[in-house]
Amino acid sequence: MKSSQGTEEFGGQRPALRTLQLAKDYGDRPAVLPLDLEVPFGQHVALVGHNGSGKTTLLRMVAGLLDPSGGSAYISGHRSGSASARASLSWLSDTPTFYDDLSLREHLHYVARLHSQSESSAPAEARAEELLVRLQLENRGDDIPTSFSRGLRQKAAIAIALVRPFQLLLVDEPFVGLDEAGKQSLLELLDEAAGAGATLVVATHELAFVDRVHRLLALRDGELVYDGAPGATDVHRLVRPG
Amino acid sequence: MNEDALRALRRTRQRHRLGNIEWFDAAYRAYLVGLFGGGSVLWISSSVHDEALGAAAIADIARNGPSIIGLVTALALLAGLRGGAQGGPIALETADVVHVMLSPVDRRRALLRPALQRVRGAMFLGATVGAIAGQLAGRRLPGSLSAWAGGGALFGVATAMLWAGAALLAHTLGCPRWIATSSGIGVVVWQTVAIFQSGRTGGIAGPADSFGSLAMWGWRQRPIDLVAVAVALVAVTAGLLTLGRISLEALARRSALVAQLRFAVTMQDLRTVILLRRQLNQEQARRRPWRKSGATSGRGVTRAVWSRGWHGLLRFPATRLVRIGALAALFGVLQATVVRGTTPAVLASALVAFVIGLEVMEPLSQEVDQPDRTDSFPIDRGELLARHLLAPTIALIPFAAVAAVAAVLVLGSADAIVPAAIFALPNLVAGSAGGVVSIVRDAPDPIKTERQQSFVPPEMAGLGATLRLLLPVIVSTFGTSTVFFLRAAADAGESLIAAAVRGALGSALLALLVGYWVKVRDRVRRRIRAFMDEGRAQALGTTRLAR
Repeated sequence: MKSSQGTEEFGGQRPALRTLQLAKDYGDRPAVLPLDLEVPFGQHVALVGHNGSGKTTLLRMVAGLLDPSGGSAYISGHRSGSASARASLSWLSDTPTFYDDLSLREHLHYVARLHSQSESSAPAEARAEELLVRLQLENRGDDIPTSFSRGLRQKAAIAIALVRPFQLLLVDEPFVGLDEAGKQSLLELLDEAAGAGATLVVATHELAFVDRVHRLLALRDGELVYDGAPGATDVHRLVRPG
Repeated sequence: MNEDALRALRRTRQRHRLGNIEWFDAAYRAYLVGLFGGGSVLWISSSVHDEALGAAAIADIARNGPSIIGLVTALALLAGLRGGAQGGPIALETADVVHVMLSPVDRRRALLRPALQRVRGAMFLGATVGAIAGQLAGRRLPGSLSAWAGGGALFGVATAMLWAGAALLAHTLGCPRWIATSSGIGVVVWQTVAIFQSGRTGGIAGPADSFGSLAMWGWRQRPIDLVAVAVALVAVTAGLLTLGRISLEALARRSALVAQLRFAVTMQDLRTVILLRRQLNQEQARRRPWRKSGATSGRGVTRAVWSRGWHGLLRFPATRLVRIGALAALFGVLQATVVRGTTPAVLASALVAFVIGLEVMEPLSQEVDQPDRTDSFPIDRGELLARHLLAPTIALIPFAAVAAVAAVLVLGSADAIVPAAIFALPNLVAGSAGGVVSIVRDAPDPIKTERQQSFVPPEMAGLGATLRLLLPVIVSTFGTSTVFFLRAAADAGESLIAAAVRGALGSALLALLVGYWVKVRDRVRRRIRAFMDEGRAQALGTTRLAR
């Protein structure tokens, strides 16, 4: 299914994300059917669908964590998985992953440095401290995140995803396990990232979040069944299994 | 900048790890490994007779040795190709996959260190095993022990490099599993044919003969054998050069499973090791069973458990069926080898039967792995688990047939057909009973308490742990050792059929005993526990009265 929604509105520059016949199957079970998609820079996209509809598979393929069965994905014009694509993309997974021998602050420090192009680490460190405060983690910075509760682990993962520069942020189920304050902080941080020009693609079951985005994509059984403005459809109908 | 950050990350983590090491414990473990490892090597070495072989035997070894030893290299190549196609040989931490591999650092550089560590580890293992085997060979063959150890180490290093190179290349080139497996098997078959052809005029040479010949450098050196070293070097270099093409999906999957696998090995949890190996090989139950099981209706616990067993067994993937079939054939070969006079083969056959047991008793494993559900059934757990033995035991029939055919082929006599037909199934069932013991023993113990554990003195705890590890294999060994009835009959020229009946009865008796143990285990333990509590209460009462 070819999508052109939103491209004119955001100008004719190279899209932040582009997929060409991107598909994935697990043996005889298709997870994502061949998908053509363009997401221009600065667009804020929500990806919805029932459990097993292919949202996570799609995002993981774009991030380069899954090998597509067919087709390809490009981030800012660079093939997914290439160093340039990785420099542009930040991935916030629904299953936070940490080193079990580094504190949260050390995680932030090193992830920022791994992505940094500048010699000075001062801006990254300042950003790390700011994120710790915004996510109410300032007292847990020196703790090992593998020992955190589900919600704190999610907050730590958010901090790690946002501490580094990016043009495209892929987020998978970011609200799971977060308390109200955490959800609010995350929404503010996502709005800030969007305000700074970043492109956001957020897979979520929180249908209230859909009102905040420019564009809604809905998957059902691996197929793109809706691509358009969020207000122009009944979202609840879209996320029902077929 | 990015590479500097990666180096700094690794330095910091190394510092943390070193800081967490309990040096006294580490030294004690190294001491134990040195003591038992060195002791084992010395024991094996002393058990090899030092008499030099005769001229005919030496000529035979000179002719066939390279091909036979080369088979080890061919098998290593097969293992490497298959491992690489399944995402090996590198396993990163999951966090490294997410944080380092998704950062814009040069992936080849980032992976170079773990890849080199893997290659180095394999080379060290190869050199050690090769040197030990070499010095054992040197006791009976011309040449000094040290030269044989050196030749063995060279062979081990070259084979390990070929394994690592093949695995890296199969992974980075995205070699499909079926191509990796079929090409690896092709090399093994070619090498096997070469073994039977070696020394014949016009006979074909094996692809790994040069590797095998390296192992004999303690005796005679052929410069042409260095081709093997060159091939191994090229393979490993090519693998390292293509590291940047590694699949993140395969790496992530493998990394998560390998961490669990290492933990299971540390815990000596063989059942979990086998389960994780299956996951590592992406071995999943078939969506559609081989055949629709008809026995889904009817009432009664036995019927329900019987149906559940077949639902699982009929979903075994083809790869697992082939593997169990191959293991059954190996079991038959080893049992036949015992009949022909090689006593230690009974231990190997017991181990094979134990693994077959772990594979076939899958429905029982699944039940044990869901203790909450099992305990919620309105039926005694022992009764339930014992019923789970029925379907897998019947499922062993075709594999017993495979074992019988393999044994008859090795024995090479039509007289062996009837005894093998009588003996194979009870023997295989009794051998796999060790697997049953391993599975059931791992079920959560509803009776055990912390207080009970505290009664075990530390000196006994180690012995208890060792026995616990060995018990299933001991059961399998008892189950398979009834083959000695047949050997004794063969040696004495008595009726093999009568011996097979005696052996089958012995095996069947052991299998029944294990089945009965599964059924009454919880009940007996409960009674023992109650008896001990009663005795303790009485002792306490007597003490109070005396005061």
